[in-house]
Amino acid sequence: MNAIDPIHAEAQGIRLSGVTKSYDAKAVTIPPMDIEMRAGEFTVILGPSGCGKSTLLQMIAGLERVTGGTISIGGREVQDLEPKERGLAMVFQNYALYPHMTVAQNIGYSLRVAGIQRAERDARVKAVARMLGLADFLHRKPGQLSGGQRQRVAIGRAIIREPGVLLFDEPLSNLDAQLRQDMRLELAELHHRIGATSIFVTHDQVEAMTLADRILILNKGRVEQFDTPKTIYSRPASIFVAKFIGAPPMNILPVSGDGRALRFGNGKVFAASPLKGEFLLGIRPESIVLDRHGPIRAQLRHREDLGSHMILTAAFDLVDLRIALPFGSAEPQQSDLHLHFPRECLHLFDVEGRRIEADFHLEYAN
Amino acid sequence: MTSDSARFGHRWLPILLVLPLMILILLFFYAPVIQAFYWSFFLEQPFGGGSQFVGFDNFSRVLADPEFWRATWRTLIFMVTASALAVVLPLVLAIAADRQIRLSPVARNVLVWPKGVAGASIGVVFAFIFNPFVGILAPLNNWFPGLWAPGLDGVDAFITLIVAHVWSGIPFNFVILLAGLRAVPHTLYQAAALDGAGPWRRIRDLQLPLIAPQLFLTLVLEFTESITSVFALIDTITKGGPGGATTLLVYKIYADGFRGYDLSGASTQTVMLMIFVVLLAGCQFAFLGRRINYER
Repeated sequence: MNAIDPIHAEAQGIRLSGVTKSYDAKAVTIPPMDIEMRAGEFTVILGPSGCGKSTLLQMIAGLERVTGGTISIGGREVQDLEPKERGLAMVFQNYALYPHMTVAQNIGYSLRVAGIQRAERDARVKAVARMLGLADFLHRKPGQLSGGQRQRVAIGRAIIREPGVLLFDEPLSNLDAQLRQDMRLELAELHHRIGATSIFVTHDQVEAMTLADRILILNKGRVEQFDTPKTIYSRPASIFVAKFIGAPPMNILPVSGDGRALRFGNGKVFAASPLKGEFLLGIRPESIVLDRHGPIRAQLRHREDLGSHMILTAAFDLVDLRIALPFGSAEPQQSDLHLHFPRECLHLFDVEGRRIEADFHLEYAN
Repeated sequence: MTSDSARFGHRWLPILLVLPLMILILLFFYAPVIQAFYWSFFLEQPFGGGSQFVGFDNFSRVLADPEFWRATWRTLIFMVTASALAVVLPLVLAIAADRQIRLSPVARNVLVWPKGVAGASIGVVFAFIFNPFVGILAPLNNWFPGLWAPGLDGVDAFITLIVAHVWSGIPFNFVILLAGLRAVPHTLYQAAALDGAGPWRRIRDLQLPLIAPQLFLTLVLEFTESITSVFALIDTITKGGPGGATTLLVYKIYADGFRGYDLSGASTQTVMLMIFVVLLAGCQFAFLGRRINYER
C-alpha cells in the first residue's frame, strides 16, 4: 500500500426524505422512502432485479428525476441539480468507458472538462493510475484491456475528482467469479483509503454481506430492512429478508398458537407461548443441530456434498427442511433424523411475513 | 476449423456463381473505361472510320483550355459545398433525433426511398420548385423583382443545383448517422454527464468521435457522388447554363462528346476526372480513414 494516498475525499452524508418515483400515473416504482446514509458509510442496496435499486441509485446520481421528495447530500438539497453539480461520481455496470480515449484520457476526462491545466491533470491521472495498478496501461484504449482492468479504469475515473459520494451500479456483475472476489477485496480496501460515502447496488448477497457497513434491502421499491449485515442475518425483519440473505435460504414452517402453546403443522407442540393464531417459524439450515436425543424427527431424502459443507434435505411436517452440516461433522447413518432447533436461532413471523419479537420457550410435547 | 461441408464441393461452382456479376462489371465498367483511356491517346472521327495516335496531344489541348479549368473549379466548389451540406444537415438532424425519436424499421425504410429516386426526376421536381414564376421563391420576385432568377443568374442556378443534390442526400445520410449514434451505449452519455460534460460537450467529445466511421462513410460517398451523379440534375434543371455557370466537368464531358462530337477530348476529360476521383477517395482513406477508431 502507498505511504501517501493521493486521493482523499471529504465524505458527505445523504438523506432521502419522501423520495418517490413513478414512470406513469398508475404504476409507482418507488413509494415514498426515507433513508439516511452517514458520511463515509458504505451502504449496499440489495434486492432482486426490478426492485427499484438501480432507479434509486440513478435518482441519487441525478440521471433520473425524482417524482416527489427531497434528496440532500452534505446538507444541500440536490434533487433539482444536474448530476455534475451534486459532487458525486459513479461506476457503471458495463464500465461505460469512452472507447475512443486512452486510459489516461478516460481517467482524466472530468478534469479536462473542468478546465484543469494539463500538467496538474497528468500528475493526478498518474497518481490514480499508480494507486489502481494501471500505470503501465495509460496509453492503451479500453478495448485492449481485460475486464478487471477496465473495471479499475472506471473506478479511477470516478475517484479522480475526489467526490464526497461514490455510486456503484452492480460494478462486479460482468466479471468472472475469481476476479469478482479479488475486486471485492480491492473495493473494500479502496473505500477505507478514500473514505467517500459509498452506495453500492447489487443483487449478490455475498457482495452485500462482505462490503457493507449497512445493507438496504429493497423489495418492489419498498425498504424491507436497513441495517448492519450482522443484524440482517441474525434478526431479519421479514421473511423476504430471511429468505434473500443466506444460502440455502432460511427454512420456513407454518405454526399455530392457541394461547398456551405453539404447534407445528402436524399438531406437535414445540413451545409454550401466549400467542394465538397462524404464524411462520424460520430457522436457518446452518442452525439446525443433528442430535441423537433431539425431539424433532425428520426423514432424510437427499444429500448434497459441497465439500466445505453438506446440505441435507429432509421431510418434516409436509415441508422440505434444508440442513447444512459443516465439513467434518458426523454424517447421519440412517434416514431417520433426530433434530434440535436451538431457541436463539428461531425466528417468528406473522402471516404477512413481518418479524414478531415473541416470547416463547421451547417445550416439546406430543 | 472449416469442415469440408462448409466449402463448395466443385471448384468451378464459385466461379460460376460470380460470373454473371463479373460479366456485367466487365461489360459496363471496365470496357468503357479502357475505351476512354484508349481514345484519350487517339484522335477519333466522330462517326467512326479511322483514328490517329496523337500521344499526349489530347491532354495538352484539354489542359490549355480555360473552359476546362473553369468547369474543374465549379466542380470543386460544388463538391465541397454540396457534400459538406449533405453530411452536416443530416448530422444535425440525427443528433436532434437521437434524443427523441424512436425510428421504426418502417420509418427507416421510408426515409431511404429518396435515394432511389432517379436524379432526373428530382431535377424535374426542383426545376418546378425553384421556378422563378411559380416556385416557392416566386413571392421574392414580387417584392424584389429579379432577385431570384436561376435562368439568368449563375449563382441562383448553382444554389438550385446544390439544394436539389443535398435534398436527395439527406435521408440516406440521416439514417446512416442516426444508426451510428444509436449504437453508442446510453451509459456513456450518463458517465460523461457525471464527469461534468454538458450536452454540447458530449456531442463534441463523445458523439462525433464515436460516429467517425459513419461520418467517414457518408463523406466518401458524398464526395464521389457529388462529382458524378449531379449530371442528371444539371441536365434537367439548368442544362449547364446560364452562360455555362453550372457546367461542371461531368456535364462538360457530355456536352463536348455528344453535342460537340469531340470524342477524344471528352474521353481525355473522363480519364482525368476518373483519376481525380480515385485519388480523392485514396486520399480520404489515407488521411482520414487511418485515424478512425472502429472499436466500440
